[in-house]
Amino acid sequence: MDELLSEGLSLMVFGMGFVIVFLTLLVIATSAMSRIVMRFEPAPVPKAAAKAKTMSSNPADDAQLIAVMTAAIHKFRNDRKGQ
Amino acid sequence: MEKLLSIWFASGMYNITFGQFFMIIVGLVLLYLAINKKFEPLLLVPIGFGGILANIPEAGMAFSAVENALHFARPEVVRDLAATLGATSFDPDQLKHIYYDSNASTHAAASLVAQDAGYSNGMLYNFYTIAVASGAAPLLIFMGVGAMTDFGPLLANPRTLFLGAAAQFGIFATVLGAVGLTSLGWMNFSIKEAAAIGIIGGADGPTAIYVSTMLAPHLLGAIAVSAYAYMALVPMVQPPIMRALTTQRERKIVMSQLRHVSKREKIFFPIVLMLLVAMLLPDAAPLLGMFCFGNLMRECGVVDRLSDTAQNALINIVTIFLGLSVGSKLSADKFLDLQTLGILVLGIVAFAVGTAAGVLMAKLMNQMMGGNAINPLIGSAGVSAVPMAARVSNKLGLEANSQNFLLMHAMGPNVAGVIGSAVAAGVMIKFVG
Repeated sequence: MDELLSEGLSLMVFGMGFVIVFLTLLVIATSAMSRIVMRFEPAPVPKAAAKAKTMSSNPADDAQLIAVMTAAIHKFRNDRKGQ
Repeated sequence: MEKLLSIWFASGMYNITFGQFFMIIVGLVLLYLAINKKFEPLLLVPIGFGGILANIPEAGMAFSAVENALHFARPEVVRDLAATLGATSFDPDQLKHIYYDSNASTHAAASLVAQDAGYSNGMLYNFYTIAVASGAAPLLIFMGVGAMTDFGPLLANPRTLFLGAAAQFGIFATVLGAVGLTSLGWMNFSIKEAAAIGIIGGADGPTAIYVSTMLAPHLLGAIAVSAYAYMALVPMVQPPIMRALTTQRERKIVMSQLRHVSKREKIFFPIVLMLLVAMLLPDAAPLLGMFCFGNLMRECGVVDRLSDTAQNALINIVTIFLGLSVGSKLSADKFLDLQTLGILVLGIVAFAVGTAAGVLMAKLMNQMMGGNAINPLIGSAGVSAVPMAARVSNKLGLEANSQNFLLMHAMGPNVAGVIGSAVAAGVMIKFVG
């Protein structure tokens, strides 16, 4: 009986210890991997910002956007009136 | 009149035993919980129905050809089987036990004798052998789960992996609990059985099924049922523990927005994880290997068709077979046992301890990082149960502060918990398997 208990205890100590060691190594490996990947790949944030800017400064796009929004608002109001 | 009598003697009503009747009621209760209470219905509907099918008297759907032959016990067949098994007695019950304990070649020989006599394996028995005993079904489900998992939140904040590690304490504490109950003489679990019960605390169905088929196949029914039932109960089990262990101020902590994670990082992660498993713990390779494979199919972006199949059609097909197979283990002689009661009690202890360990670890990390970086509520999500546990963290965070959305932050420890419980499973199989 006591042998079983000590077996359980050692399973707990070794098992939990191994899980922590493994995941610690995974944290280190993952962080290292992310750092390497980011060094070779510039962050995509500025690109997205630039794209957004060009879109809103295009007058043709704006006109179209306003037309779409006006139509949507018009439809929404009409729908509400109908209810 | 004779014809009428023969129909009566072949009927279920004449042949049903109390155990079978009781297990059919258990199957109906599982169906009720699944359909009416929405308890993990995808698994509990097939398991409950499989349980009912397995207990239909005389049909023998969950039994092998040999078990069926011994059940009907025609004298000449029993004699042949006894000769094959090398037994001296002709008592079918004793022969059954000799058959269970025999080695693989005797097993196969007895099976052929029974088939020659016109008996065949039950349908559920075949499902079980092909899908579960071979380990295929839990591994295919793990592949599907990998294909459904987004590691983005984890990669944005890799330290949440520690929370997934801490929550696995529930598994090992439960092993100790099961062993302790045996030492006290209240229960009778071997170390293998204790390990298989502990894995319920991993809150991960396929892992629990995989480990228990490896270590204690006779407990599979009880372990799978309690694992899925408690996973459904996560929204009820966790919140009281989380509230008791955290202060109002801690629950209000707002975590900073997660950084952007690039596609390349997501592609590299499963490969890094798999290499680490290959180097350190080959025993976890079946589970984590399939998991990483599924995830790589999702993230690499060139095999969308395979990824789509793995996370939809295939996982659904496998779930049907897995559920019915697990249900087939709900036969009366294996389930109606004091051990089942012990498993149900230990299972909920495993969940509670895992939740508490996760929350306490999160509190510790928060203290070490200045006291305002990590909301301890996300620690409880370390017990896998994706995505239910993360939703519970989110709900409690919103209760404390209606502008605090913790869901994405909790997904990090949540998927870390899946990795953690698969690692714990590998360690168990390595040490006691």
